[in-house]
Amino acid sequence: MSDEEFPLLSELKKGPWPSFVKEIEKTAEHKPEIKDLLKQLERSYEDKITYWKHGGIVSVRGYGGGVIGRYSFLAKECPGIAEFHTMRVNQPAGYFYTTEALRKICDIWEEYGSGLTNMHGSTGDIILLGTITKNLQPCFNALAKAGFDLGGSGSALRTPNACVGPARCEFACYDTLELCYDLTMTYQDELHRPMWPYKFKFKMSGCPNDCVAARARSDFGIIGTWKDEIKIDQEQVKKYAEEGVDIQKQVVEHCPTKCIEYDPEKKEIKIDNENCVRCMHCINVLPKALRPGDEKGACILLGGKAPILEGPVMGWVIVPFIPADELADFVKDLAEKVWDWWDENGKYRERVAELVERLGMMNFLEAVELEPDPRMVKHPRENPFFFWREEDLKPRTDPWKIWREAEKGL
Amino acid sequence: MSEYSEEDKQKVLEKLAQKPWQTRDLAKVLKMKKRDVDKIVKELINEGKADYWSSGSTTYVTTPEKVQEMEAKREDLK
Repeated sequence: MSDEEFPLLSELKKGPWPSFVKEIEKTAEHKPEIKDLLKQLERSYEDKITYWKHGGIVSVRGYGGGVIGRYSFLAKECPGIAEFHTMRVNQPAGYFYTTEALRKICDIWEEYGSGLTNMHGSTGDIILLGTITKNLQPCFNALAKAGFDLGGSGSALRTPNACVGPARCEFACYDTLELCYDLTMTYQDELHRPMWPYKFKFKMSGCPNDCVAARARSDFGIIGTWKDEIKIDQEQVKKYAEEGVDIQKQVVEHCPTKCIEYDPEKKEIKIDNENCVRCMHCINVLPKALRPGDEKGACILLGGKAPILEGPVMGWVIVPFIPADELADFVKDLAEKVWDWWDENGKYRERVAELVERLGMMNFLEAVELEPDPRMVKHPRENPFFFWREEDLKPRTDPWKIWREAEKGL
Repeated sequence: MSEYSEEDKQKVLEKLAQKPWQTRDLAKVLKMKKRDVDKIVKELINEGKADYWSSGSTTYVTTPEKVQEMEAKREDLK
């Protein structure tokens, strides 16, 4: 493909980093119809408008989702992409594949689709980009034979997604992979047959680091946490200090609730666990010295969502703590109550967070039979971006110093 | 034990043959519980008497014949 033919796209090939334009060009070498994709893209950049439209037959027999129909407005000019549907494939929990499984998916997509993929979409599915209507069913059949199924789309349960959990991460407070698999298998009907006011997402993070962004991107976020004290290995704390980690500066001063004390002489840490908000910062900086406690479980948040209709919403804590061994049954029971209430009361395209906003949290809690609890925090870390200039910082007031002085009558 | 009758199922099927529906609207029109309409629709899909069709942003349910009709219209528009 010459840069003269596609001058705007050629700008996106510059630099040492990977480029989607280069990848499309490589694909077009053995699938000439894909050149039309470059043609349409160049035109979109020129005119600053998309030329995709969607709709029509969107799936395979018996399924109401999993395929996102895409058609080109420039079908006459770019016949190679007149139909360019996306197939959304349910990813394995934690994104673990064998190389053989990946080869199979790629071979299937070479045969029935454009060969272009997106691993993974922002909700976690394997995204296979670009096929024609008559290839949908045979492609689905081949994927099913290889052990894969379509994921969710439309007003349905979206493919549940989980972090790598205990398979690769020592911080996991519950088995995210098992729960993700369990929910996916239990709710096949909800996943493939859109019946609700709008989409509904489950995301499972094993610890408050929240690697799958459950608090911001899922209607029902399940985030691992612990109830007892952070485990401290003082020998490892010493080692970190001796290796040059400035514990005072890098850990203590970054603690959001100032619940950590460090003794530089003994090189020891003390944590006031009652005031710890499980931000994970200290554990992330000193992973060998600090660990989540033993009494593990999860916290459940409701209503996180991206901006599409009413603006972004962060999840609202509705269950502060549930022990890991009770989690699966509890989640299913609660989720079904949430769906019943939302399905009964939700307006067309109203996410569950918007319904809670409209009818009130009290209404919601009564409907799902949860007792109000002061730990049901509405906005944990509402704004993750705090910016300030050095000169704006004022010395912190220590109220205890003032109170003690007052007590002494000074 | 199903909470709906064969007559209800027939009523749903007749409506589906008219145009693509969202089940919530269908439940309102037929004055039935949405949950029952959902169950009937699932059953009809399993029997091959109903199918999904999408406007692009919304998934509707209708009969396979109506889906073919909608697709034929799309072809004509090209």
